[in-house]
Amino acid sequence: MIQSFLQYLHSNVTPGEAGSLPWIVIYVLFVFGGVSVGVIFMNWFERKVMAHMQVRLGPMRVGPHGLLQPIADALKLIIKEDLMPENADKLVFWFAPVCVVMTAFCSFIVVPFGRSHAITDMNIGVLFMLGVSSLGVLGVIMAGWASNSHYSLMGSLRSGAQMVSYETAMCMAVVSAVMMTSMAAGGGTLSMIQIVQSQQQQHVWFAFSFFPVGLIAMLVFTVAMVAETNRAPFDLPEAESELVAGFMTEYSGFRWSLFFLGEYTSMMAVSSVATTLWLGGWLRPFPNLLSGATWNTAFSLIPGLTFMALGGLCFYSYTRMSKLSNTRVQSLGMAGFGAFLAFLGLVLLLPPVRSRVQDVFWFISKVAFFMYLYVWARTTFPRYRFDQLMRIGWKVLLPISIGLVVVTALIGVRQELFALVWR
Amino acid sequence: MSAVELLKKIFLVDLIKGLSITFRHQHPKDLVTEQYPLQRPEVADRFRGHPQLKKDENGKTLCTACGACALACPEKLIKVGSIRDPETKKKVLTDFDFDMGRCMFCGLCEEACPSDCLDLTPGYELALYTREGAELNREQLENGIPKKVYER
Repeated sequence: MIQSFLQYLHSNVTPGEAGSLPWIVIYVLFVFGGVSVGVIFMNWFERKVMAHMQVRLGPMRVGPHGLLQPIADALKLIIKEDLMPENADKLVFWFAPVCVVMTAFCSFIVVPFGRSHAITDMNIGVLFMLGVSSLGVLGVIMAGWASNSHYSLMGSLRSGAQMVSYETAMCMAVVSAVMMTSMAAGGGTLSMIQIVQSQQQQHVWFAFSFFPVGLIAMLVFTVAMVAETNRAPFDLPEAESELVAGFMTEYSGFRWSLFFLGEYTSMMAVSSVATTLWLGGWLRPFPNLLSGATWNTAFSLIPGLTFMALGGLCFYSYTRMSKLSNTRVQSLGMAGFGAFLAFLGLVLLLPPVRSRVQDVFWFISKVAFFMYLYVWARTTFPRYRFDQLMRIGWKVLLPISIGLVVVTALIGVRQELFALVWR
Repeated sequence: MSAVELLKKIFLVDLIKGLSITFRHQHPKDLVTEQYPLQRPEVADRFRGHPQLKKDENGKTLCTACGACALACPEKLIKVGSIRDPETKKKVLTDFDFDMGRCMFCGLCEEACPSDCLDLTPGYELALYTREGAELNREQLENGIPKKVYER
């Protein structure tokens, strides 16, 4: 039994395909734990990047450079009093944040972090992903309705309308990417893993195929996913000046933190869809152009070296921190964190580990790029008015994305015909 | 709408400009935040803060008890108490009251002082627990308010 358990490590399929239940459980725990850690990190990262863009320092006190701030926040939220409005619909009020978090986490079932690093491979992967993540609207509307408050109701109506209307543009952009997969031998596919594989077969990330069609599709998807996850500049449901906190007005403490968790998780989920569809998923840069054993080894060293470099950066900032007694603990913490990162880097340099984990590294760094984009856009752009938001959704993004579908189809057909004629 | 403007709109030039500005400002050298208790602001020498009565090298006050500061003060918050020394026939300072709660730190008293005794120092941490704490007497003005040092 242990033999068959370990046998999986030598295979190159997802645990879902291999049908090994223990590994599925391990992967689920790994993915959900990793996503939660990602949310914690993202909380810190967003505050830090936003602060620096606004020429501030951001959290500095809890832990070195505020590294423990999200943990302190989470502790504070957990020990807060659990309030529920008296006239609220108790059951729905309780279920709304659960629904948001559940849908957000569920969509990670099909996300391929690597060829073998997905919980399972569905043949309708993208469809499942979009379907489940749009179920989150239900949670938002339930929250607004159950709170029995005007602010909440208005906020949830707004975000419901927003999420639904941007869904269409988003799906059309996805369709154009899915159509590109049919260019490869073997025909089109909706499976997340096969989409990445067809990018490998066609020797191009879909962002750059049919230039500039793929790029525009990615841009449309990026804008739509910002609106879909209710983030700035489309964060109308949370417009503080008008609606207090939108559908989250009556929520506090742990329930509120569930909404927070759901929001960041769904951000990561849609970012990973964008990564899979347009940025070649887990593929390292130039998998075909710079192929061969030497290049493979060189690229597989990058994850470990990146972590080592980050650790070195921590040590550098440790030497620069003041040695006063009241910052002693913080600077020691910085050095400890640097040592931890360097250790991780060393582990990642081990040959068996690096061959198995480098896919995940590339995938996560591409998702991180999108997460940075979220924060960047949030700091830069002012919030849109509701009618402007709807205008962008229906009058700009939707026509563009439908046009993209048509153009992709035309170019694809033309290429197929050419191929026939030339043969 | 001219062609250039249309192209600008299509290629989102304004948005990209905004993004580039925020991106450039991430550089740590732009930071203006001051970590206050650890890192104190440097104030100018002529900053008008906490008042002080200066003494000469022998520890004797420089004040001649002329009362020019009390006259110059627009708020009438300085009270100079003095007696005339029968031997030297000079005024000698007995007490000096300065109600910092009403002070607006205009610096007219400092300018009026003929012996450069009254001075508004760069001390800026003037927070107090009581209103009465702002009424400074001669002792406090000459030696400064004893600071309570807290352990962490």
